[in-house]
Amino acid sequence: MKRRLYLSLAAISLLFVVAIRARTARRPAYGGTLRVEIGATVNSLDPAVGAANPREAAAKAEIDGLIYEHRNPDGTFAGMSGSGPFRISAWDPGKSVTLAANDDYPGGRPFIDAIQIQMGRSAHDRLFDLEVNAADFAEIPAEQARQAAAGGVRVNASRPDRLLALVFLAGRPAAQDQRVRQALAESIDRSAIVDFILQKEGQPAGSLLPLWSNGTAYLFSTASDAVAAKALVSQIGGSPALVLGYDSGDSFEESVAERIAVDARAAGLMVTAQALPAGSSAGASGLPDARLVRLSMPSPQPQESLRSFLTALVPMAGLDTVQLPDAASADQIYAAERSVLDGYRVVPLVWYPQVFGFSTRVRDWRSPGPGQGLPFADIWLDGPSNASLEKESP
Amino acid sequence: MTFRSKLFWIFTLALVVSVGLIAAGVTVVTRQAFEQMYSQHTDALVAQFQREFDQRKQAVARRVQVITQDEATVRMAINLVQPQSDVSSYVNVATGVAKSHQLDFLDYVGNDGSIISSAENPERFGYKIDWVTQPEDWASLGSFLMKIDTQSGPALGLMAVSTVRVGDKNLYIVGGERLGKNFLASLVLPVGMRALLYQNLNQNFQAIDLLDQNGPVVEGDRFAQFINHERQNPAPQIFKISSGPDLARTEEFHALPLLGRNRELLGVLLVGSSQREMIGIERRIRMLAESVVGIGLLLSLLLSWWGAARVTRPVRKLAVVAREVSQGNWNARVEERGGGEVVQLARAFNQMTQQLTEQREHLVQAERVAAWRELARRLAHELKNPLFPLQTTVENLQRAKSKSPEQFEETFRESTGILLAEIDNLEKIIGRFSDFAKMPQPELATVNLNEVVRGAVKLFEAQFSAVGRPPITPEFHLDEDLPPIQADAPLLHRALENLILNSMDAMPAGGVLMLRTTREKGEVHLEVSDTGLGLTPEECERLFTPYYTTKQHGTGLGLAVVQSVISDHGGRISVESEKGIGTSFHIYLPVKPAPRPVAPPPPETPEAVGAEKA
Repeated sequence: MKRRLYLSLAAISLLFVVAIRARTARRPAYGGTLRVEIGATVNSLDPAVGAANPREAAAKAEIDGLIYEHRNPDGTFAGMSGSGPFRISAWDPGKSVTLAANDDYPGGRPFIDAIQIQMGRSAHDRLFDLEVNAADFAEIPAEQARQAAAGGVRVNASRPDRLLALVFLAGRPAAQDQRVRQALAESIDRSAIVDFILQKEGQPAGSLLPLWSNGTAYLFSTASDAVAAKALVSQIGGSPALVLGYDSGDSFEESVAERIAVDARAAGLMVTAQALPAGSSAGASGLPDARLVRLSMPSPQPQESLRSFLTALVPMAGLDTVQLPDAASADQIYAAERSVLDGYRVVPLVWYPQVFGFSTRVRDWRSPGPGQGLPFADIWLDGPSNASLEKESP
Repeated sequence: MTFRSKLFWIFTLALVVSVGLIAAGVTVVTRQAFEQMYSQHTDALVAQFQREFDQRKQAVARRVQVITQDEATVRMAINLVQPQSDVSSYVNVATGVAKSHQLDFLDYVGNDGSIISSAENPERFGYKIDWVTQPEDWASLGSFLMKIDTQSGPALGLMAVSTVRVGDKNLYIVGGERLGKNFLASLVLPVGMRALLYQNLNQNFQAIDLLDQNGPVVEGDRFAQFINHERQNPAPQIFKISSGPDLARTEEFHALPLLGRNRELLGVLLVGSSQREMIGIERRIRMLAESVVGIGLLLSLLLSWWGAARVTRPVRKLAVVAREVSQGNWNARVEERGGGEVVQLARAFNQMTQQLTEQREHLVQAERVAAWRELARRLAHELKNPLFPLQTTVENLQRAKSKSPEQFEETFRESTGILLAEIDNLEKIIGRFSDFAKMPQPELATVNLNEVVRGAVKLFEAQFSAVGRPPITPEFHLDEDLPPIQADAPLLHRALENLILNSMDAMPAGGVLMLRTTREKGEVHLEVSDTGLGLTPEECERLFTPYYTTKQHGTGLGLAVVQSVISDHGGRISVESEKGIGTSFHIYLPVKPAPRPVAPPPPETPEAVGAEKA
């Protein structure tokens, strides 16, 4: 009887200790430096200095989001100071930036002490560093999410809020015939792109907005129809030739462009994939007749995102201006999308998410929604490196 | 060309031909040796290529087999037959495996022929490769050539297929190696040789498909003709390509067709050997030969000149002596020295000269006698005519003395008149003989022959139309462009007078006297023709003989004088005649007479006249 009692007390004690330890482990801890790697290189944090390419602009915006309000009242750049959760403590243009926690941040001091951002890291290097625990956070290309997870990296993907689309550039004679554009659009096997290139980290896109945004995406077909494409090509006669441009520094775009070329050739269209200067703006029209364009939803609101998309796509494709009311209904958004896509000047291909990789010590990560910055102020770091900090903390 | 020159050139030619033949022989032998050597090199290279090719085929088949037997591949094959298998997870497998197994091409192909993963065409996932699923014993087939479509265009691959069978389904592993410049770079080539590969990947010949170890061949279009021939008739062939007029830039190529699985032509291996080295050695040999020929020629010139001079010296002496003899030095003799045929020749020449001298003396003697006889006969004949009247007149005077003084007086007066006339006639006869003997040498001056002809004819115009005589009509056919000649006008005038007189005598019944001048090559031609009685051939032969005449009262000196004058001018005269038709004299005079050797003084005796005639 006593023996049973002792055993019961020991078990209860053990459970209590384990519960106490578990509660202590989940509790946010202060301290630590978050090691972040990004692919872009930011050469200046001064808002007055323009970014060299969209990637730099995006990275600059992210950093700016962490140290926001680092401007003087008159709007000029205030240098290292700022009123955001972090302040710049070290700055090596184009290579690295170190942000220190802002103790005076009105929203409360961030848990982590600092963020160390290494710039210009390739996707391969970022993934490798995550795998060997040399980095705590990095954005991973969606097509490598599966590989990263297989490599033991903690992966988190947002909702598919990014669109890859093919845009026939305005004024290119080779794409003047709508049948050529339609034949190319019909020939593209979007499922293959999602399954093989994106490794299922995405969805075939027939519309500009994803299904979760406006709910009308299912009304746009995403299926390929090689028979219809061949029929259109035979109507056109000959073997129409098109040049499809893609960002030369983007392996995802390159793969998609090559796949589109293969599908098009199978339908009788001669499409040649051509690398364009890395980071060239979406509107830059060089030799290609069409090019791949990546678009990010700036907001969870469909009309805002669509408006943003139209702002980028309409002049590039030479489309008529599409009017969209501020408080547009789902039908109006659908009609606007339809009006843009009916002429096959813009061909949505796939939606894909933002994918982030983490080390095992990053805690309380919540994936940001469209238009939201990275929530570094809300995360905390677990692990031995924070032990000393925990001891010193009250 | 002199005998010495002929000998010289014969010696030289013989030497040059000998050296040339030797040089040509050496060149030909050298060329054959080089061609044989290059042929052996080429055969060795072709054999090397064949070995290398076979080794590559085996290596490719082995590597593909290794991939097939790899645990990951087997696991993949097992997973793929599962109902919920995810093909997309293998899409990037081929790239890494191909790299690790050093393959340029690698495709994982599912049981239905769909590409699961492709190293050379990563974006072709899901597409089908139909030929893989066709019934074929891939294991026994080994490697084979094949045209592969890649992102950068078609390529030539050495491929192998292997299968992993799980249940009733196959996973095909299609792997291979690119056959291109890297393969060519792996071949070990002797100096002066190179290997090219034409990848028969397009419908028509494309120069960019012709590769060497560095990439597309420069000026590959030069091969179009031969490659096209190979495309039409895939068989080994040999051809030469020159990249300029310089023979050293010529290359000989052995073409070896490379066939695919279905015996289609997929490539052509070209093994080329440069002719540069061979041509270089040939040129050095030729240069050496030319130097030898040059030196030999120089030596042969000297030796031939010396040898020819030595051989021809007796002959030249013989020629000099013969020339002296021809110029009248009958006492000239050849020195009989040395031995052999040359001495015999000299001896025979001396004997011949001796005999000729003796015969000439005999002939001169005979001619002298004949000349004297002819002169005596002519003199007798000429003198007898006036002597007979003289004798008759003197006898008449003797008879008249016995008659009355009146009759005697009359007879005496008549007789003395006759005597004086006959004596005058005798003087004329003697004078003509004297004139012929004293024929002067011509004094040359520029003369227009046409004027001489007109002047001579003008003297006889009155006699042509004299009363009581049948008229003679002169006809002139004179070339007014006749060049002036160097001649003695009075002598020509005298000769023409004789010819005209002769023609007048030949036309007692009148007729036409035709005078024609024409220009010949370096000569002028004068023809004097009449329509008179004509001459027999026998008369023509003797016509120019002094003292020969067909006329009753002629002295036989007229045409002899004509011949003498023409001969003194370096010309010649001939006669054509036909009995009853007429006679034509043809005189040819040089425009500029050749200098005559200094002639001995004119003969004063009949013997000299005969010599001149001879």
